[in-house]
Amino acid sequence: MKPVDIVLLCVSAVIAAAGFFRGNLIKSKLNEPENAQKKLKLKKRLSVVMSLAGSWMFTVQLLKVIFGKGERGEFSVGLSAEKWNVFGYGISSTIVVTWAVMAVLTVFALIVRLFVIPGFKDEPKGIQNLLELMVESIDKYTSSYVRGTGLNLGAYIFTIAAFMVSCAAVELLGIRSPTADLTMTVAMALITFVLINYYGIKRNGIGGRLKSLAAPTPIVFPIRVISDCAIPVSMACRLFGNMLGGLIVMDLLYYALGGGAVGIPSVVGLYFNVFHPLIQAFIFVTLTLTFINEAAETAEN
Amino acid sequence: MGLGSIAIGAGLCLLSCVAAGLGMGLATGKAVDAVGRQPEASGKISSILLLGLALTESTAIYGFVTALIVLFTLK
Repeated sequence: MKPVDIVLLCVSAVIAAAGFFRGNLIKSKLNEPENAQKKLKLKKRLSVVMSLAGSWMFTVQLLKVIFGKGERGEFSVGLSAEKWNVFGYGISSTIVVTWAVMAVLTVFALIVRLFVIPGFKDEPKGIQNLLELMVESIDKYTSSYVRGTGLNLGAYIFTIAAFMVSCAAVELLGIRSPTADLTMTVAMALITFVLINYYGIKRNGIGGRLKSLAAPTPIVFPIRVISDCAIPVSMACRLFGNMLGGLIVMDLLYYALGGGAVGIPSVVGLYFNVFHPLIQAFIFVTLTLTFINEAAETAEN
Repeated sequence: MGLGSIAIGAGLCLLSCVAAGLGMGLATGKAVDAVGRQPEASGKISSILLLGLALTESTAIYGFVTALIVLFTLK
């Protein structure tokens, strides 16, 4: 522990306290109407910034004093997820986290079904209201894209949406999200590909599906087949690239801030770890529905 | 292969972001125009816009993924 650290600690504490008390002082003055309000408001904003910066410095210094100055780690992001040692086997972290997420979701669903709502009532109350709202809105969204698929597709859409959002939430714990691994996204895109062809063949038959691929003239058939096969590749790459991009930005931020990674990453992470994955899940779901609709409806027109 | 040439290649991959940015800007501008003309259709327009933006953005993402692969595998 160096004396410089202690001095910096005291200075930042003084700055934070000064900003806080100055803000309070100005707040009490704000009630008087004859004062120059604009200038006071500017001063108040300044004191808020001062107290925030002071408390940030104080926390950083305090952590430094308590834990000592940490070594700056090397910045490294791999294209594939790291291997974890599970019972002596090297298993990718994606698989472990995926199974954990599935277990948590299943147990949560069972608890809600068995203990919170033992029997569904005609007049919904409390958490049943929320569940009905979620299920109903997703069912409505599904049937607005693909008409007449019953509730099966809605259930699938709800499942992948819940799964992707929970996978992204894992990243808040400092673990690499499974959706930032190419194997996971390719698997999800392949499920979509199978569903597209399943609904296309179910609606139109195999002949109808092939005919719809040769829609305007038979010459375009190979091109249509290639572009259909490109759908899972593009969906997998899109999801993977977006999630890995967010991961890299957050890792770079942690690396750049070093020991000062207090408070600031939580604000930036609100976008890159919470809002961005939600948008990506929404886009994945919407694209799945759009492609299924395209495959299922071509022959009817 | 030199690290410098790999870095230049990865940077060139990200030129696709230019085109994607142009396309997304154009699409958003048209959507704003459409909402200004017909404010009652804003819900439908925004959902179509989001889909189009996702498809346009994939151009940039392809470039990004290619750049990552170039960086990680050509070492």
